[in-house]
Amino acid sequence: MTITTQSRPQRWDQPFGSEMTDADVERLLGVPEIQAIEADKFPSRISLEGILRNDARIMKYKAGDIVIREGDYGNSAFLVLNGSLRVVLAPGLPGEMLGRRKIQKKNIWQALKQLWTQKTSPEFRDIQRYDHKSGLRESAVPGSSHVFLQDVPAVLDSNKTAVLEGGALFGELAALGRTPRTSTIFAETDSELLEIRWQGLRELRKYDQGWRRLIDQRYRQNALKAHLGATSIFSHLDGDDLQEVADNTLFETYGTFDWHLSYKKLQGQDRIEGVKDEPEIFQQGAYPDGVLMVRAGFARVSVERGNGRQTITYLGAGEFYGADEIYRSWKGELDVGLKVTISALGYVEVLRVPSKTIEKHLFAYWESERQGGTRVGEMKSEKRSGRIHDFFDQTLAEGALQEWAVQERFVNGTQAMLINLDKCVRCDDCVRACASTHDGNPRFVRHGKTFQNWMVANACMHCADPVCMIGCPTGAIHRSLSGGMVIINDDTCIGCETCANSCPYSNIRMVSINDENGQHILDPQNHKPIVKATKCDLCADQITGPACAFACPHEALKRVDFRDVTWTGEGVGGQ
Amino acid sequence: MKRVWGYIATASLFFVLIWGWTLQVDSSLNYPEFISGGALFFVILVLCMFNVRKRLPFLPLWPAHKWFLLHSVSGFLALFLFWLHADVLWPKGLYVQILAVLFYGTTLSGVLGLIMEKIYPNLLTRVGLECIYERIPRDLADIRNKAENLVLECTEKTGSDTLAQHYFETLGWFFQRPRFIINNIFGGQNAQTWVMQQCSVLERFLNEAERDYLDQICVLAETKRKIDFHYSLQTMLKKWLLVHVPLAAAVMAMVIWHIIVIQVFFI
Repeated sequence: MTITTQSRPQRWDQPFGSEMTDADVERLLGVPEIQAIEADKFPSRISLEGILRNDARIMKYKAGDIVIREGDYGNSAFLVLNGSLRVVLAPGLPGEMLGRRKIQKKNIWQALKQLWTQKTSPEFRDIQRYDHKSGLRESAVPGSSHVFLQDVPAVLDSNKTAVLEGGALFGELAALGRTPRTSTIFAETDSELLEIRWQGLRELRKYDQGWRRLIDQRYRQNALKAHLGATSIFSHLDGDDLQEVADNTLFETYGTFDWHLSYKKLQGQDRIEGVKDEPEIFQQGAYPDGVLMVRAGFARVSVERGNGRQTITYLGAGEFYGADEIYRSWKGELDVGLKVTISALGYVEVLRVPSKTIEKHLFAYWESERQGGTRVGEMKSEKRSGRIHDFFDQTLAEGALQEWAVQERFVNGTQAMLINLDKCVRCDDCVRACASTHDGNPRFVRHGKTFQNWMVANACMHCADPVCMIGCPTGAIHRSLSGGMVIINDDTCIGCETCANSCPYSNIRMVSINDENGQHILDPQNHKPIVKATKCDLCADQITGPACAFACPHEALKRVDFRDVTWTGEGVGGQ
Repeated sequence: MKRVWGYIATASLFFVLIWGWTLQVDSSLNYPEFISGGALFFVILVLCMFNVRKRLPFLPLWPAHKWFLLHSVSGFLALFLFWLHADVLWPKGLYVQILAVLFYGTTLSGVLGLIMEKIYPNLLTRVGLECIYERIPRDLADIRNKAENLVLECTEKTGSDTLAQHYFETLGWFFQRPRFIINNIFGGQNAQTWVMQQCSVLERFLNEAERDYLDQICVLAETKRKIDFHYSLQTMLKKWLLVHVPLAAAVMAMVIWHIIVIQVFFI
């Protein structure tokens, strides 16, 4: 018998940029911001040179090219090597200028017109449209075309901007925090940038004091204070107190940033083993040392039951746990341990506000409120932690559906297509309705994972953590500012398949586009069909809303936000 | 459920009003058939609108599930209005008898469809496997190929043709195409019993290596049985409309002709 062997895959088998040469690395080591890094602090297996060679790439932008767009999800930061860039300050550029799709609801007449204007061949595209509107600048590197601004002087005249020049670092908070970019940055002159992917950025932050201080300081200054102020437990604090809380807050990340890549591999894995492998954030029984606040991603909340752990619920962005336990401990109760284990579901970014800070700024407030006759603060706490405590009494059977939804990461969905199979007569009216409203081709498959009588069909769930948006080179896939749905701008989609490959639920499909006669539109260079990414857009431009749910004669199909779903024996409520 | 009762109450009220109106017209020595006939025609139009609505999913014409309830309740209302209009269960005259046959046929197929739509989804869910109807032929072909490959492999590896003989004598018939369709439609268990029997009857004639292959074939047969069940029930769920809709179209055509004839020769 022959044994197949392969050298063990290594971290840097797939470098970020394939063009990095020794000369490039040498040159980068001479850049002041990199020269300041203490290279000897890095372990030999993750050397600074290695990071530059494998986790970074040099990108060239022409004047007018958009480097990052407001609202995009990115997984890299940029260091300006030379040239000049502009940050567009609030209110920012209009969506169409950024290559976004303009959503306009059809009126009754336009809706009716679809009856006779729809082409018989599916996925028909008028290619004239792409020539006039796309604003795409082709790039020699496959999959890295840029959207560009056609009239930079006009943009500068009509918008407030700030200049970024050599040595400026930007995009690091969104890359590490998995949050949308907060502004648009474009090249004012031809520029050269060092793009560092999040893995490299993480290592730089980990091993170099200067970069860590810089990134953390920026986070505390720019994002943390605003984030804390928006939470219900710290909304009563004023500027100085809030700053003190922000200064004392610790940031932690658990799990892997690219959880979507390993998610599919884990599908066949034993469910119990899967739970055990998750990184623990809080352990059941441990003394609470602070309030845990989820900033991004999801955390599983479980309790020990027999030989395994029962998932009772989960925490999403903006939710927190631990205040109740610390409060009881503060009031003198003994043996107050955490009642649950909290572990990272995929990737989660948390803030840990230490007990001392909580006692000073939260409990003192609660006490004063109580003495003043109101229990606002305490009630807030009870309401929040009550969400978890309410689940303690549920039986294994009652919690099974919720556990399944957490296990399959469907909790990520804000508009998941949930089908009650006990009502669904498999008539496919939903599929036909979808095809009728989308170029004759349905944007979902009425098939998917099932649990008991519930099926989550293969339709875009418009995720809270949209990993499909990470890495789109043109920003064609984006979250709509009106409505929050994740949509694709067909005009700027270059068919690179990044989004389709990233979607952990396989809900994005690449389709060949056709001309009026139903013939594939071909790339003149290689004669291969031009493909575009397609997915459910929640019928954003239709007056009926999602046609699938509107067309279901048995009310079996619903679009649900899993965060709002309450599972009962009779059905799914809470929508 | 509350909503259904709302529709039923409205339909009942409508019927009572029409009935009262016909009694009043009858007592004043006019023709009550015009009232009941007009109401029946209106309800038939509403029934037909459901099909039109299905073809216009992009227009805000009320959600389909509300139309479905309206259609179901209106179907029963139409039956009562038909009896009120005809005044008998079985009318006289060839034309109206043909019309009655078509009308009863439409109603009966509709009721059967409604019953199937209430019962079958639950039965399909309990199978524990979901399949897309259009993909069933491909799924069955895949299973058959796998089963036949296992039989060939068993013969090659063990040098015994016992399993192969049995496959070509009995199991092959089962794997060939959907089986036990009628039994499945009535929710029967014949297929399951048959598969278990065919697998167990052979077991004592096989050695351990062959039994491994038989086990794998039995697993495939069980999957195939579930797909057959889906095929049978989903076929019914899709095909009953091929009876209901043409009958309804024929009723509509004859009703229009009936109205024209009444207008021309009676009034």
